[in-house]
Amino acid sequence: MREAWVVGAASNRFGKMPETGREAATRVSLEAIRQSGLEPKDIGYTFVSNCFGLTEKQGHVGPLINGGLGIPDVPSCTIESACSSSSAGLHEAFVHVAGGFTDAALVVGVEKLSHLDTLSATSYFAEAADYAFETKNGATFPGLYATLASAYQARFPMKPEVLGSVAIKNHANAARNPHAQFQKEITMETYLNSPMIASPLRLFDCCPFSDGAAAVVVAAKEFVKKPVTEPLVIRASARAGSITEMQDRPDLLGLPATRTAAAKAFRQAGLAPGQIDFLEVHDCFTIAEILAIEDLGFRPRGTAGQSEVDGETARDGKLPVNPSGGLKAKGHPVSATGASQVVEIFEQFNGLAKGREVARTETALAHNVGATGGSCSVHIFSRR
Amino acid sequence: MTATWALACPRCGRADLEETALSERGAVAAFTVLSVPGDEFLNDAPYAYVVVELDGGGRVTGWMPSVRSERDIAIGARVRFVPGYKPGVQFAKESEGAPPG
Repeated sequence: MREAWVVGAASNRFGKMPETGREAATRVSLEAIRQSGLEPKDIGYTFVSNCFGLTEKQGHVGPLINGGLGIPDVPSCTIESACSSSSAGLHEAFVHVAGGFTDAALVVGVEKLSHLDTLSATSYFAEAADYAFETKNGATFPGLYATLASAYQARFPMKPEVLGSVAIKNHANAARNPHAQFQKEITMETYLNSPMIASPLRLFDCCPFSDGAAAVVVAAKEFVKKPVTEPLVIRASARAGSITEMQDRPDLLGLPATRTAAAKAFRQAGLAPGQIDFLEVHDCFTIAEILAIEDLGFRPRGTAGQSEVDGETARDGKLPVNPSGGLKAKGHPVSATGASQVVEIFEQFNGLAKGREVARTETALAHNVGATGGSCSVHIFSRR
Repeated sequence: MTATWALACPRCGRADLEETALSERGAVAAFTVLSVPGDEFLNDAPYAYVVVELDGGGRVTGWMPSVRSERDIAIGARVRFVPGYKPGVQFAKESEGAPPG
């Protein structure tokens, strides 16, 4: 297996895009390729993710992107894994590059939802759940995570301020991230006064609906030779699944797919959680960040909430979590999220995360979940 | 009403499954009360979405139109299956008595 690097990573500003998904995807792709010092013609495969492209009446978007990049003869395919789509794309790119099938691959995720009303957007999001045994019984996406929160709280009682501290921290980080949808800090008062969506989750516990696009260029070390950026060495690219319906899982604490993918990733990387400097985790809801920190093995079950309250997960804390602002405040354009986590790690490694730098950037981990844990990707990166 | 669908057990992988009747009563294992519903429940919010541990085994999900606030429900609350007016699985609190009709 060859060593594979992330040599370029770019994102637009999440929120509301005036342009189409296909246009935004092409634009960030070219930006990531240029940043890497490579040319579009160096790309051997394009992995595109665009879960809700059909709402723009557009499928098969890969050839359109490649055409727009001037490389129409390059193969592409669409990778769908709900909210973990573009980290699944990154995994495919890793497999191609590390396996020697492709010297350089493009991973791009894009979503446009702002042309839909909230109700339609909520319904599209719910399509990643089990329609017959969850959605038809009244579940929504926030409702499913709220149900996990209630099971967690039954074992580990938690004041609302604990979840609130996650939201406040992620908003504070996003306020310093030019790619973020919400570049605005919030107070505990704002959090506590926000309306309940699905108890115990309030409006400010939930990620927003977002448009956005992010792209990552993966290349073989031996192909790049003299990198023009500080590359991220992909030390681990691991994926796992778990039973979609939480009622069929052995327990309701956390997400089994995160635990499985994390175990694989740490084994691949030959690293332990204590050796990771900072994390980008899948905080589609505040409770999800707490579950992720515990499922990934960074804190024992029942204690991550206190770490949040104590500031350990802040940018200047012992274990910075989501310096980008996370899905919660940076935004969650479903198919772009996995790639955008890598953009944050790339910017931190390259000194481009101005005003939101974390202290140590030798190693980092990205954790991206599909739905309520039916799918999960964990990537571990280090410097050369 | 069916509680799940599979050709093999998602926990052990064995494919020799058989249909079995589940109890209509159980206890709430996890819940949320939704203020913002899905599109098929537009006129029903607020309502509870519950994971129920059935007496004698089996865990299912359902919704409870009679629960309109998180103060009306708790983990461990006793519930029973009731014929619903929507396609989904519907529960009511055991203490509510028989539904009208």
